[in-house]
Amino acid sequence: MAKPIKHLQAVVRSIDEPMPGIKRLVLADQDDWRLPAFHPGAHIDLHLDGGLTRTYSLCNDPADCRRYIVAVKKEDSGRGGSRYIHEQLRPGDKIGVSVPRSGMALAPTAMNIFIAGGIGVTPFVSAILALEREHKENYVLHWTSRGNPSLADMLQPAIRAGRVHLYNTLETAAPDIQSLVRHYGDDAKAFCCGPDRMLDAFEAAVAHWPDSRKHIERFVAPKLAPTPSAHPFTVVLAKSGREKEVLPEVGLLATLEEMGADVSVSCGGGICGACRTRWIEGPPIHRDRVLTPQEREKEVIVCVAGCAGSRLVLDI
Amino acid sequence: MTIAGTESVQNVHRPVSPSWTGVVRYLHITPRAFLPMESFNDLTLVAGKGIVGDRYMIGQESGFYSHKPEDGRQITLFEIETLEALARDAKIQMLPEEHRRNVTVQGVPLNHLVGRQFWVGEALLEATRLSTPCRHIEEILGKAVFDPMINRAGLNCRILKGGVIHVGDIVRGA
Repeated sequence: MAKPIKHLQAVVRSIDEPMPGIKRLVLADQDDWRLPAFHPGAHIDLHLDGGLTRTYSLCNDPADCRRYIVAVKKEDSGRGGSRYIHEQLRPGDKIGVSVPRSGMALAPTAMNIFIAGGIGVTPFVSAILALEREHKENYVLHWTSRGNPSLADMLQPAIRAGRVHLYNTLETAAPDIQSLVRHYGDDAKAFCCGPDRMLDAFEAAVAHWPDSRKHIERFVAPKLAPTPSAHPFTVVLAKSGREKEVLPEVGLLATLEEMGADVSVSCGGGICGACRTRWIEGPPIHRDRVLTPQEREKEVIVCVAGCAGSRLVLDI
Repeated sequence: MTIAGTESVQNVHRPVSPSWTGVVRYLHITPRAFLPMESFNDLTLVAGKGIVGDRYMIGQESGFYSHKPEDGRQITLFEIETLEALARDAKIQMLPEEHRRNVTVQGVPLNHLVGRQFWVGEALLEATRLSTPCRHIEEILGKAVFDPMINRAGLNCRILKGGVIHVGDIVRGA
């Protein structure tokens, strides 16, 4: 029997290097068929050789539905995904791609304040291209980078219009985020994507803002808080009936991987949503940053979840 | 003895009621799993195989369920009335290209046609089973359509006589 098709099969149309250490991939269907639509700030998983799955923000205009563009910074100390893309992936290669997920709910008329650090600009590129296409001026991008910014060629109209503020930290101090977000009124919405220190400063600056007015994109999964009270439980795969004990020191995700369970995993830290799975019995202990309370009634992000009961039965 | 009204329904060979006549409103195909459906004014049906260019054409299968071969899945139909019901009852706006069936019809009681033959324009189809809703559609659409589509997710068919079908073609019992 043929194997199930679990992902889009895309072709790498081109790869360029807008600056050293950054590769930009253009992905398309083999016949340039339309690709699944996406929202500004959405991301996709790339399913790479060797079982690697990595999540990247789409950084083309969502109206440009015949291709996906992602930018990948080489992380020599990372887990291997970016090294594979930089060193082995070639134009013409086929690559598995997930359906786009998530995205940012932009304020339709109020100010959208985008705060980016380095390659963290990627989710804002698609948002800005969408806003510019609609001739909307209700946004500003504050973009900090060490040296020249990496994808500035994609934002030239916005830069020329004065809606992008660049901060090269080799020449100037990084901006004070508190002062960046406080001048745009009580209905402004703030977004941040960058290194942990920037995200921490952002979270402090908008701590008193309602959740509906702030949005954080993380590209490094946060470390989970230790759970000394965690207890063993049994995970059950409903469709096969297979089960295995989950030890606290091993965790649910590693146990599922040992079982060869059909779960797609990317961030491993509860932020990307690749491993969302329906649950039947539990209840799970949810520790993700993805699901709404309503979604948690039926689904669980298994890469970070625990179980409040003795059995967690998953609908896989 | 048979109690009135309880005779077995399996062996009753009733003709398709002539009281309905439907029409083709939309035609869609996609060549591969996960890709969006595209709208066409006409499609070419090949008897015993499928639709030219669609992912479930037998012999060239590349659909999400192609690892589960099915002779009776050569073409699929969906009622436009279900789209109206989803909007009305579940407040879900679902477009004709989003239900991922090939033919959107109006005025055709699809759930009544399992095991029966009917014409779509010049093509003769045989309904093999009701389509079932799937999480795959929810994954692609990001809309919670699974539960509202139960029992009205369309019809799977075998193509008995091929040909070119068009938007606007009449759908009628054989």
